[in-house]
Amino acid sequence: MGIGIAKLSQRTNLWPWLLLTPLALYMAVFFLVPLIDVAIMSVTEPRPTLANYQRVLTGSLYLRVFLNTFITAAVVTFACLLVGYPLAYLMASSKPRTATLILLLVTMSFWTSFLVRTYAWMVLLGNNGPIIWFLQALGMQQSPQLLFTRFSSTLAMVHILAPYMVMNIYSVMRKIDPVLIRSAESLGAKGLALFRHVYLPLTAPGIANGSVLVFVICLGFYVTPVLLGSPREQMVAGLIGNQIDEFLAFGMGSAMAMVLLVVTLAILTVYHRRFGLDKLWG
Amino acid sequence: MNRFLRWLGIAVVIFIAAPLVIVVPMSFSNARSLQFPPPGYWLGYYQAYFTDWSWLRPTWNSILIATATTVLTMALVVPATFALVRHRFRGKGIADLMMLMPLAVPHIVMAVGYYSYFGSFGIVHTHLGVILAHTCLSVPIAFLVLSANLKGFDRTLERAALSLGASPTRTFIHITLPILRPGLIISALFAFIQSFDETVVAIFISGRNAETLPRKMFDSIRQEADPVIAVISTLLFAAVILGVTAPLVVARIRNKRARLAAA
Amino acid sequence: MSYLKLSGISKSYGQFNALEAVDLDIAKGEFVTFLGPSGSGKTTTLMIIAGFESATSGQVEIENRSLFGLAPHQRNIGIVFQNYGLFPHKTAAQNVYFPLQMRGVKKAPGLRKAEEMLELVGLKDFGHRHPKELSGGQQQRVALARALVFEPSLLLLDEPLGALDKNLREQMQIEIKRIQRALGVTTIFVTHDQSEAMSMSDRIVVFEKGHIQQVASPLELYHRPQTRFVAGFIGESNLIDVKITDAAKGEARNGAIGPIDYAVSDRASTGSEATLMIRPEHIKLSRNPVGGRQNVRMKVETIVNYGDNALVVGKVGDHTMRVRVLGADVVIIQENEECCISWQRDSVYLIAK
Repeated sequence: MGIGIAKLSQRTNLWPWLLLTPLALYMAVFFLVPLIDVAIMSVTEPRPTLANYQRVLTGSLYLRVFLNTFITAAVVTFACLLVGYPLAYLMASSKPRTATLILLLVTMSFWTSFLVRTYAWMVLLGNNGPIIWFLQALGMQQSPQLLFTRFSSTLAMVHILAPYMVMNIYSVMRKIDPVLIRSAESLGAKGLALFRHVYLPLTAPGIANGSVLVFVICLGFYVTPVLLGSPREQMVAGLIGNQIDEFLAFGMGSAMAMVLLVVTLAILTVYHRRFGLDKLWG
Repeated sequence: MNRFLRWLGIAVVIFIAAPLVIVVPMSFSNARSLQFPPPGYWLGYYQAYFTDWSWLRPTWNSILIATATTVLTMALVVPATFALVRHRFRGKGIADLMMLMPLAVPHIVMAVGYYSYFGSFGIVHTHLGVILAHTCLSVPIAFLVLSANLKGFDRTLERAALSLGASPTRTFIHITLPILRPGLIISALFAFIQSFDETVVAIFISGRNAETLPRKMFDSIRQEADPVIAVISTLLFAAVILGVTAPLVVARIRNKRARLAAA
Repeated sequence: MSYLKLSGISKSYGQFNALEAVDLDIAKGEFVTFLGPSGSGKTTTLMIIAGFESATSGQVEIENRSLFGLAPHQRNIGIVFQNYGLFPHKTAAQNVYFPLQMRGVKKAPGLRKAEEMLELVGLKDFGHRHPKELSGGQQQRVALARALVFEPSLLLLDEPLGALDKNLREQMQIEIKRIQRALGVTTIFVTHDQSEAMSMSDRIVVFEKGHIQQVASPLELYHRPQTRFVAGFIGESNLIDVKITDAAKGEARNGAIGPIDYAVSDRASTGSEATLMIRPEHIKLSRNPVGGRQNVRMKVETIVNYGDNALVVGKVGDHTMRVRVLGADVVIIQENEECCISWQRDSVYLIAK
């Protein structure tokens, strides 16, 4: 009988592997291998050297693009926080009906294609768009160039990524016990002090979640910067695209892709150690 | 402080809503290029979209690719999720992480990889290539949704079915699957949307033959900003409104019915 | 005549022994309760009988046929789970029909039988509702009907009343008992609630730390517990550790209380250590010693009034004693006063170490 049970448990241990194998194989062949292919190309194209990395990491053009990408990602993240925090607060402090309506709006924005939202900003900021029209109605003679600048692509990215921030912060705010705030008030915390010492620390996990997510997505953002940004102030993803699309420089493109990948994974690994990755998209 | 945050919140609501709403009047505009407010209104660009093969073909491609991606994703993810949620075994932590990895890799990196890798098989610029690539990107999303559902599944129900004389297979068919159905549907829907909306990989590997709608839109916005884009945007936005509000409406009707029954 | 027979059931998880050599015989039609604190092994035993856990060693037999190697769905055992396990996507009637469906019963007669069963548990006209549209008590009844409709050879109830409030629980105790009698199905009921066990069972099996402590009828268990654990777990009791001074005469001695006489028993010999049990309701409270009883003086510390009765807690020397008195009797005494407590020798029950 003892042997029978041992056999049974062995069989039950095989079962999960059987279920997992098709996906594991698939991911190995169609996800890992292409990724490894990028790594290989970065040191073999056009010749097997480390020259690509040398150029990417020392060439002033490339460094400027990386720097620009980082700054843009940081600005977008910060702006998303400025936009997202009050909105999450508005939702958490409104009546359920209002909160649902705002949540509905945020969800709709979230699910609307990046392209659609990018296009909408093109309309809004265009030379014949409502903002220029409004500025002219105010009497501004020389209307400024809004489209195809760093301003327009940053603004659109903030709009596109804000829902990630809002949802992360809101999910934390919603769980804050109002009694906690009331008891803090009864202990004499008011206004800014209440916010700084009670509310802000309580919502910090949501802020961290949202910020990491927005920052990481922004680092690798392709569509919006390419369509709305200034061609002279590219971000990394756009530059990688150029290398592949226009110059067929797979080596350079791959080397930049690897740097982008390593930076992204490094940020996420640090985050994973502290909070666990599965929480990020949950 | 409260009031300040509140007003800021309202301003943000407008900031979020305005770009979504503006595409709707644009789609009825009769202007040849981007112009707001529109000089006049007509349905011409809707007609243009529904008759122009250079728009309909990418739409059809996208539907085809997203459908195939969904089927493939679910076929791979459903058994794997059962393994990962319901069993403990060595290497599970790594397997869990592998499932989520595609979310962590920027799409432009994958695009470079697929462009070269699929090129060596000759499946770049084919439907198959896009489907295979999109499936990798849909897997983590389908997995996240499904595993959350499966974790919440009360296994007493399966034990109850077994004790009532249902074999493990019949328990799965009669109890497990029907109860998980909403989770499966949402999971599949997310996989579909992920593929349907995916732009970056499609730009690089779908080519002319398998051109998807997002790729066509991207090219069009980049080159001339064809007003038909406003039409497609409006249609996509309408689909989102429908998709987001429908569950709420259904839930409300169900609640009302349950309350009536209980009364 | 044994109907269900457990022999030498053991279950261990690695080093930890959840069950050790459990033997038990249950007669046909009997209502037996497994009683014990959580982690005592009662639920593990139930799950082994149901086939959801496999024993490390031992046998389960029903009518002399071993259940070994039978999967849960082949055992024909009805179970009511703690949270009922009703299928949310099926109506009450469909839930009850499910076991019949699995046994190849056609839909029309099957649903008719399900409705009959629902009527038996007092849910006529509720068949079309989904579990969500039923109250806790009603869900409980559906689960019971579902576990009984296929005429199982055994009914297992796994703490089914835990989720209900007190009034409903008492009502369901009576209901379950009524239905079980009506159908004559052999039933095992698992609970950690001793009053539930006392009120429902033909026999109670007391579990502790993977062992069966005692198997007996409720009254037997109450009046003649075999171990200190049972005495403490079933009802309230004063347990006094003593040394037997004369086993033949029934005399013992406790350091704080002094000499105590007990009902003579051969479970302990002179000079051995033992425990005496006196139920609080067998102790009388008075101002002065009462003739014909053993009297000791107690300093009252706390009086808890329940209206119709009161619990008086006090100290005899440094030994805490609990006395249950009728409400009217408590007026003679106040907290921090000294009084007399007394009992009859027959009320002092000896538990061997």
